[in-house]
Order: sequence, then C-alpha cells, then structure tokens
Amino acid sequence: MKKHRGELEIDEDIQLESTNWKVQRVAWVLMSLFVLAALLGFTGDGGIGNFQSIKAGDSADGLEVEYERFLRRSAPAEIKVSLQAAPSDTLTDLRISKNFYEKIKVDQVVPEPAEVYTSEEGITYSFTTDKQPFTVTFYLTPKGMGSLPLLFSSSEKQVAITPFIYP
Amino acid sequence: METVIRGLVLYVFLMIIFRISGKRTLYEATVFDFVLLLIIAETAEQALVGDDHSMINSFVLIITLLLADISLSLLKQKYKAFGKVLDGVPVIILDDGKVLHDRLKKVRVDEADILESARALRGLERLDQIKYAILEKDGKITIVPKEPEQQPIEKV
Repeated sequence: MKKHRGELEIDEDIQLESTNWKVQRVAWVLMSLFVLAALLGFTGDGGIGNFQSIKAGDSADGLEVEYERFLRRSAPAEIKVSLQAAPSDTLTDLRISKNFYEKIKVDQVVPEPAEVYTSEEGITYSFTTDKQPFTVTFYLTPKGMGSLPLLFSSSEKQVAITPFIYP
Repeated sequence: METVIRGLVLYVFLMIIFRISGKRTLYEATVFDFVLLLIIAETAEQALVGDDHSMINSFVLIITLLLADISLSLLKQKYKAFGKVLDGVPVIILDDGKVLHDRLKKVRVDEADILESARALRGLERLDQIKYAILEKDGKITIVPKEPEQQPIEKV
C-alpha cells in the first residue's frame, strides 16, 4: 500500500481520478444532448414541433401515409392512411407488406374493414366506402425492434415507409 | 433469453450512469435524493420485467443480476486496475490541515460536508482540528483528526 506523507496508507490515484472527472464532464454533456434529442422527438413519443411525424405519399395521388419516424417497442403507436375510394368497386383495398402483421400487433383499425385477408405479399384490408376519399387509422403496438420497412399499396399507388422501433 | 439480455443491459447501463454522475450523487441522501432513487428504481423495474410478470421471469432476472454482480467482483479482484476504473479511488480532500479546494470543486463536496463528517465521526468542532479528510470510493467522507495519538479511521 502506498503511503501519503509517509503515514497515511491510502491507495490514491489522482491521475486516474482526474481522468475520471474529465470523463464525467463529457458524460454530462452527452446526457444533456440525449435529453435534448428526446425533447426533439428522436427517441419517439412525439416531441417539440412534431418534427418526427412524417407524411409519405400524397393524398392527391390517392395514398398518403402519416406516421412517426421513431416508434417504441410495446408502446402504443398510430399510423394514418389517407385513401382515395376505388371508382368502380364498392370495396377499396389497402395492402400492407408482411412485416406489418409479423412485427406489429394491430390493436384496432378505424374504420373497421369489411374484409381482411393475408396472402404471400402481405395483409389486405378492404373498406366499404362512400366513393369519397377517406382516412384509416391503425392503432398499433410494435413487437419487433430496429428498422421496419413497410409497403402500403392501394390499387394504383405504393408508398414505402421505414419507421425505426426502439427496444 | 430476452430477460437475461434486459437484465445485463440494464445492469451495465445503471453502472455506467451512476459511475459518471459522480460518487456523491446518491450518497448525500437528502429527502429529494431518496425520492429520486425511488423513481429510478421504479423506472428500471419496468424496463427489466416488461409485460412478463411470471415467476420464472423474476427468477431468471434475479439470478442474472446476482451472477453479473458476482462476475464483476471476481474480475475486480483479479484485475485491480479494472476495479479502480469501475469503483474509483479514494481522494484526499483535506491534506495535512489544508483544504484542497480544486479537488472539492471537482468532487462536488464543500467544507460543510467535511465538517459534517468530522462532527459525526469524531465529534470535532473546527476544520483546523482535521489532519486528513478523504472522500472514499463509496462517497463517504472519512476524517483523520490532528491529534498526537491518532486513532484508526472509522466509517459510519
């Protein structure tokens, strides 16, 4: 054991400790940045100014998907899809790629689809419509983690989105 | 499997976060620090167990955490340098009767804290009765008084 002033037996290592203090100061800055990022919505769950709420596609073209860029595993989420009603048929189809029902638990779809079926490409929701543009809201709980590429297709258009799911 | 990963990730996360927030952070247990500790515990609990409230999950988790703790203590014993980095080292904050103000500032301790420990541990009344004050690695301040026959340092 080292002796301080020849009397106090102490394992002091002031060099290590001053490195430690420097690391601590840097870490405090990083912690502040992390909180700032959370406030700006980079960790999901909204944020100041709603910067992370994104619209993909265009409702004028018949398909628009509104979603949050960052989602959280097991935390409730929402995806809104604006659709143009199919001109010929009474039912309007919205097909979403397989990931959608494999990595996400769909809690509720508003309005309720008239039919739902799965196929090789994914899951198809058929909605009864009034020949008007309409919006479908999906209430979801993500189950997976990481980037989740999703493809939304109506009869004419396709929109791809890639939200990120935090563990 | 997920429980083990959750447990280990949270263990490492908490270790790092408390290490970098400095040793005095949770030792000065004022009422508010106590509340803070409770809130952190509650938040960590959610991240640890998630939605799985089964007994086997808590068994897995408890054993994982204890095993992590045991492994770490073994590592610290084997590699002294690792232990120093992880736990820090004691720092002399009052040396031979002289208060080291620059160090006090760095460790977020003030003279009042030294006096508090001096009163509590040794029944001392003034700073000039203290020979050494040391901030130990667990965040306590220990006191060596200025007396001809020095008694061993004692901890509360």
